[in-house]
Amino acid sequence: MKEYKVVVLGSGGVGKSALTVKFVSGTFMEKYDPTIEDFYRKEIEVDSAPSVLEILDTAGTEQFASMRDLYIKNGQGFVIVYSITSIQTFQDIKTMKDQIQRVKGIDRIPMILVGNKSDLDSQREVSSSEGACLAQHWGCPFLETSAKSTNNVNEVFIEIVREMNSTPLKDNKGCCTVL
Amino acid sequence: MHEVDSPGPRPGPALPPAASTPPPPPPPPTPTSSISPTPASPPPPPAPQISHPPPTPTPIGLIEDEQRAGAAVSGTTVAGALVRAATPERLIQMCVESFTEKELDKNHEEFVNVFFLMHPWFMTSEELAQAFIDLYQGCDETVTCTMVACQHLPINTGCAIQTYKKMICQAVRYWICKFPLHFDMDTLVTTAVKRLSSLLQAEGNYRLKELVDVSKVPSYDWMRNMSVRSTTHGKHSRKVSLVFNHLEPKDLATQLTYLEYKAFRRVHFSDYKNYALTASLKDQPKLERSIALFNGLSQWVQCMVLSKTTPQQRADVICKFIDVSKHLRVLQNFNTLMAIVGGLSHSALARLSKTIACLPAESQKTLMDLTDLLSSNNNFSNYRKVYHQCTGFKIPILGVHLKDLISLHTALPDRVEGNLLNFRKMAQLAIILKELTRLQGLDSIPIDANMDLVNTLRLSLDLYHTEDEIYELSLAREPRGSLSSPTTPTKPVVFADWLLGLSPPDSDTINKHVHDMVEAVFKNYDLDKDGFISHEEFDSIAGNFPFIDSFCVLDADKDGMISKREMKTYFIRANSHVLRNSFKHAFHETTYFKPTFCIHCTGLLWGLIKQGWKCKDCGINAHRHCKDQVVMECRSKGNKRTESMSNGKGPHDLTITAKRKISQRHLKRSSPSHTCQQSTQTEGAVLRRSSSLKVMNSSNSHRNHRDCTLLDGEYYEEQALLYERLLKAEEAREKLLEENSRLRSKLDIANDQISLLKSHIGIIRQNTIAFILEQMDALHMQRDTEV
Repeated sequence: MKEYKVVVLGSGGVGKSALTVKFVSGTFMEKYDPTIEDFYRKEIEVDSAPSVLEILDTAGTEQFASMRDLYIKNGQGFVIVYSITSIQTFQDIKTMKDQIQRVKGIDRIPMILVGNKSDLDSQREVSSSEGACLAQHWGCPFLETSAKSTNNVNEVFIEIVREMNSTPLKDNKGCCTVL
Repeated sequence: MHEVDSPGPRPGPALPPAASTPPPPPPPPTPTSSISPTPASPPPPPAPQISHPPPTPTPIGLIEDEQRAGAAVSGTTVAGALVRAATPERLIQMCVESFTEKELDKNHEEFVNVFFLMHPWFMTSEELAQAFIDLYQGCDETVTCTMVACQHLPINTGCAIQTYKKMICQAVRYWICKFPLHFDMDTLVTTAVKRLSSLLQAEGNYRLKELVDVSKVPSYDWMRNMSVRSTTHGKHSRKVSLVFNHLEPKDLATQLTYLEYKAFRRVHFSDYKNYALTASLKDQPKLERSIALFNGLSQWVQCMVLSKTTPQQRADVICKFIDVSKHLRVLQNFNTLMAIVGGLSHSALARLSKTIACLPAESQKTLMDLTDLLSSNNNFSNYRKVYHQCTGFKIPILGVHLKDLISLHTALPDRVEGNLLNFRKMAQLAIILKELTRLQGLDSIPIDANMDLVNTLRLSLDLYHTEDEIYELSLAREPRGSLSSPTTPTKPVVFADWLLGLSPPDSDTINKHVHDMVEAVFKNYDLDKDGFISHEEFDSIAGNFPFIDSFCVLDADKDGMISKREMKTYFIRANSHVLRNSFKHAFHETTYFKPTFCIHCTGLLWGLIKQGWKCKDCGINAHRHCKDQVVMECRSKGNKRTESMSNGKGPHDLTITAKRKISQRHLKRSSPSHTCQQSTQTEGAVLRRSSSLKVMNSSNSHRNHRDCTLLDGEYYEEQALLYERLLKAEEAREKLLEENSRLRSKLDIANDQISLLKSHIGIIRQNTIAFILEQMDALHMQRDTEV
């Protein structure tokens, strides 16, 4: 079975945790223990191929600048989240692709842009078209989700798996000479 | 952890004999909002062990679980989560019931500890204390005493009411003893407990009153202010270099751990809570400071490496930091370890292939191992394993545990089952928070702090660069080779926004840190205590501060020695420039039609055309070779981070003219060739200047009192700068006046000498004439005799 490492990035308070938790605990979870090893592992089937996702939720560590590079080094696919109710969080992620490229040193990076909190449409500050526009610029898929109503949550992770499948993955382990 | 899996009667004689009574009348009314109005449950089956308080209304569906009404009880693997959910009021009652009149029932220790630790999550300590008082005052009605002719007085042993009161006081006592921190900071809760105390006094319950004495709570000043008490003393006599190049990796690791622990232990429960709730650092200076230290350290590592010019030198610095990391691992300081390893494996350093090639294989291996240890793979499983094996003093990776808190908080709701408080969540959060607070409360740490070194390091870590600046520097050191991927972004990327919410340290902090650092440097290097250190000594210290290296501006009076004041001024200025991230000037080549001086070296810009470079934004001028070294910030650039600099508020209308005047003066002052020129100026000019300064100062102070809230940030910044310059100008003026009087007295002396010499001339002349006449006489006589 193929294993994928997915990193969820974005500013604080955009709902990265909610998105991740909703996904990994899609079926009822009796016990939550975020400290155990396979808390963030989940098996899903994408295009009739079973896959295991290991998700790294970066919530809570956004401010620790030097941890971010380590995360990016470890990840293969990137879910980049902003909140549609905050234009600031959208601004924050605009440089994200460049930073990932800088760390990874490769051109094509499997990623997906996600506008979370779509249930709060009345407080919307970032229009769908703005999100779609940035995604087009990045050349990646775009989804608006609601962790609260579980809308599009699974789709995000299915889509990122597809992205990773369509990108010839260079294994970056051991390759630290990013020129 | 001890579990009670079945909700049966509590084991052991938890309650006094008097409790074996029929169920008492209804309990104190619980605040209605927190509990869903459901039909009152039937009284529990005869449970002679539990007599009070009686059931409160319970949501349907929980009854089968429910031995003690108002709470959902279940078997669970979480420590202290015997109770799944309950109203806060019910939790408080259960807490009281966990005590006997003498002590805590050991079977309920987990529950009680979780309850006291976590109560700030759902109520203030004052509210909890008040709830205890309410229980105390209400128990005359809620608890039934069956003793015949009982007066319910403190002397009546066996009285159920008195027993319950004792249990309440035992609970409060336990709270005070085990969680003294809750009482140290919070005067509201202390006052509330004192109310209980006076209540006891009034009832004549003196023995109980002693139980709830808060006056003996130790002070936790150290948590807020300074110094961790270290276990080993007396080794300070050993001379430790403050210079990075001479520092032993072990010393560095130790002092960094000291700094880290100091920042870590000040993070309060409420900081964790607010961060988990809001995911923001707003209004949480302690957590922010700790994170700033983390990031500062990572950046310092990167800057120290990039400040070296050859790959081998850079590799040497990397090696040294790897050695430091090894010692950090031994010290079990995982947070600092993460910061340094994070810095070393940052893309700005990882891309330096020539440098990496110079690293010994052994160091590379160590770095790989450490990166592996800290890797986020499998939910940081490597780190978690090692961390749990470590005993004694250790510092966790704060980020990882904050992440766990946020995950838990997101995954689990605060209220469940009809607005009952989710106590299981509290128990799970408590596992993380208990560990963090336990580590913060360690009385002694295995570290011998060298405050001088700590102060020097601390300032080094305050420097605030953007990731972008560092990456650009990395590109400058080892430009992209032909092998580089053509699509890697070539234009600089701005990351400053990404760190939003994490502002650089405020100016007060910086000033204090600079002060401490300079004091430390002088203590160690100014051996003859004359208040000066030499340039060489200063340069080696400055090596700890990469990229603030234009030191010719430092020795303002060019006497070859550096005074404390010069050093402080210099670092405060340099820091505020770095802080505000506005070093960069938009220089372009310019032809000047008037004699113009370089802002950096104060020399004249020579030539007929294109004599120098001018900044488009702020208008400063510099030599071609000086322009890259200018430490003067670019002022006209809009900068949002000005609130920290708003301490100087001057009049706006003076800004431009005064700025020009002062910068001229400043230029002249710092230039030796101009100093003589100035000193020969007439006193009148000096007086004119000083009077104009006085006018500026007085209007300055006058306007200080005016409400300046309408002024914008940039204006504040300019004023702050202007004020700083004014102070400097005044200093310069004083110096000039001093020199003037000195020269004047010299002149007087010279005049005296002249008159003295004049009188000498008279004498000499007389003597000479007399001599000539004598000679002539002699000659005449000779001739006469010959003739």
